Amino acid sequence: MTAAGSRSEAPLERTPASKSAPAMIEIDRVSQVFRTSSRKDHLALSDISLAIEDGAFVSILGPSGCGKSTLLYIVGGFVQPTMGTAKMKGKTIAGPGPDRGPVFQEFALFPWKSVLGNVMYGLRQQGVRPAEAEAQSRALLDMVGLKGFEHFYPKELSGGMKQRVALARTLAYHPEVLLMDEPFGALDAHTRTRLQNDLLKIWERDRKTVLFVTHSVDEAVFLSDKVVMMTRSPGRVRQVVDIDLPRPRRRTELLLDPRYQKYVVNIERMFDEPDEDELRC
Amino acid sequence: MLTGKSVAARLAPVLACMGLLALWQIAALALNSDSFPTALEAMRAIPSILGDKEALINILASLRRMAVGFLAAVAFSIPLGLLMGRSASVASFCNPLLMVIYPVPKAALMPIIMLWLGVGDLSKTLVIFLGVSLPVIYHSFEGAKAVEEKMLWSGAAMGLSSVERMIRIVLPASLPEILTGCRTGLVLALITMVTSEMIARQSGAGNILFNALDMGQYDTVFAMIIIIGAMGIALDVAFESMRQRLVSWSEPQFDVPLSFS
Ligand SMILES: Nc1ncnc2c1ncn2[C@@H]1O[C@H](COP(=O)(O)OP(=O)(O)OP(=O)(O)O)[C@@H](O)[C@H]1O
Ligand SMILES: [Mg+2]
Repeated sequence: MTAAGSRSEAPLERTPASKSAPAMIEIDRVSQVFRTSSRKDHLALSDISLAIEDGAFVSILGPSGCGKSTLLYIVGGFVQPTMGTAKMKGKTIAGPGPDRGPVFQEFALFPWKSVLGNVMYGLRQQGVRPAEAEAQSRALLDMVGLKGFEHFYPKELSGGMKQRVALARTLAYHPEVLLMDEPFGALDAHTRTRLQNDLLKIWERDRKTVLFVTHSVDEAVFLSDKVVMMTRSPGRVRQVVDIDLPRPRRRTELLLDPRYQKYVVNIERMFDEPDEDELRC
Repeated sequence: MLTGKSVAARLAPVLACMGLLALWQIAALALNSDSFPTALEAMRAIPSILGDKEALINILASLRRMAVGFLAAVAFSIPLGLLMGRSASVASFCNPLLMVIYPVPKAALMPIIMLWLGVGDLSKTLVIFLGVSLPVIYHSFEGAKAVEEKMLWSGAAMGLSSVERMIRIVLPASLPEILTGCRTGLVLALITMVTSEMIARQSGAGNILFNALDMGQYDTVFAMIIIIGAMGIALDVAFESMRQRLVSWSEPQFDVPLSFS
């Protein structure tokens, strides 16, 4: 049995902030209030608690506007939560840092840099020599299928290509935690599948901790150890589902696996049912 | 390879200039007035101006003041505009000040400045500085304000400090907008240069022009207008080609050239 396989059999924590093993990321009773332009307070996240272990692949699944991106920004240190704390390795997150690499929904590439320049940026910032940074970046670009586009500028790329550059740019500087906000949202089915496989391969090799936001139940189950289901806005944790499927996972095999199908169907059913709070209203 | 279309596009500005001169020639011949020399007469006066050492020194002095005023304004205005665009408190402090200064014609300040600083280079350079500053501040401000926040976040995640983000993200990201402001500033520099010399009549290209006017040498007047205009066009073309090279990463590709380059 592979290390990956045995790992998924280990019981995954359900209860947040449990004191047993120190979690990589610990989100403790986080709420986020936004002051909107109309001067009204808007509750985007309500009392979120979540513990993410070192090396876990955790997906966040929830309807649009439920605060998935906001939660990611809080872990990234880009947004300070209105209430509660987010910790990494036991230390309260006070700001962004190269230990957490974001891949934004909007790509946010540097338009004045070529594709290669974008991917090299983080490495150069860390003081890696140009030749070394370039070699590593070229290898990454090859992996995401952008060989031959090194000298293109972002404006010359399609949406899916930009997304792949954004992914490579973040992977390049080896963050311990990857914060991915619907990174495959703008891709065609074929490229999406390829990149899902590539991401899994990288993850199985490096065992980075991944926090992965997606709309797709299918994608969440395929990739994750744990799927966090969120409620409609204001976002709360509705349920955490452990995905107990063997690794390494092959998409073609999983699609035929009744256990996989059951996870997908169950999660979709749960989203179809109104949750307790909505019933109470 | 040049296609027929691109040859036509390149010739268009030349043809437009020739057309303008032809119109001038016809109008001058038709009016037949002393104070309106023909285009040919005006152009015949150009070599004698450019051959005159005194005039040449004057024109070069003008250009030097313009360059100093322009560069000082750019060096001051870009950082200020960028800071205003990224810091709400700097913006709310500076915006009211700029709103008051904005509609005042800078040349109208010339008499006061002359009173304080004399009629020398300093006054004239200061007026050019003031004229150039506002569009550059404004465009830098707008450019910095529009920088996508996620881009700055990406930089922060890579470990860039806030000063580094300002220089290595906000500055390049706003460069297209900044250079648009600088291009407007360059034309304004030429205009305020001539105006300042018109008010402080001591030296410079503007001074030659108005002296000639006083003495009724109309062909020299028009020749100076052509020379100043040509300097403006040459500066603008040179600046525009530099601008296009610097920000080609942001430009949509147009079929129709937007300038004379
Ligand atoms: N800067 C802000 N100011 C005010 N409200 C905000 C701000 N950012 C987010 N919100 C609000 O917070 C809520 C959650 O936004 P968020 O972007 O986190 O949702 P999401 O789950 O990522 O949605 P999607 O799946 O569509 O990307 C939304 O209702 C949004 O209107
Ligand atoms: Mg989102």
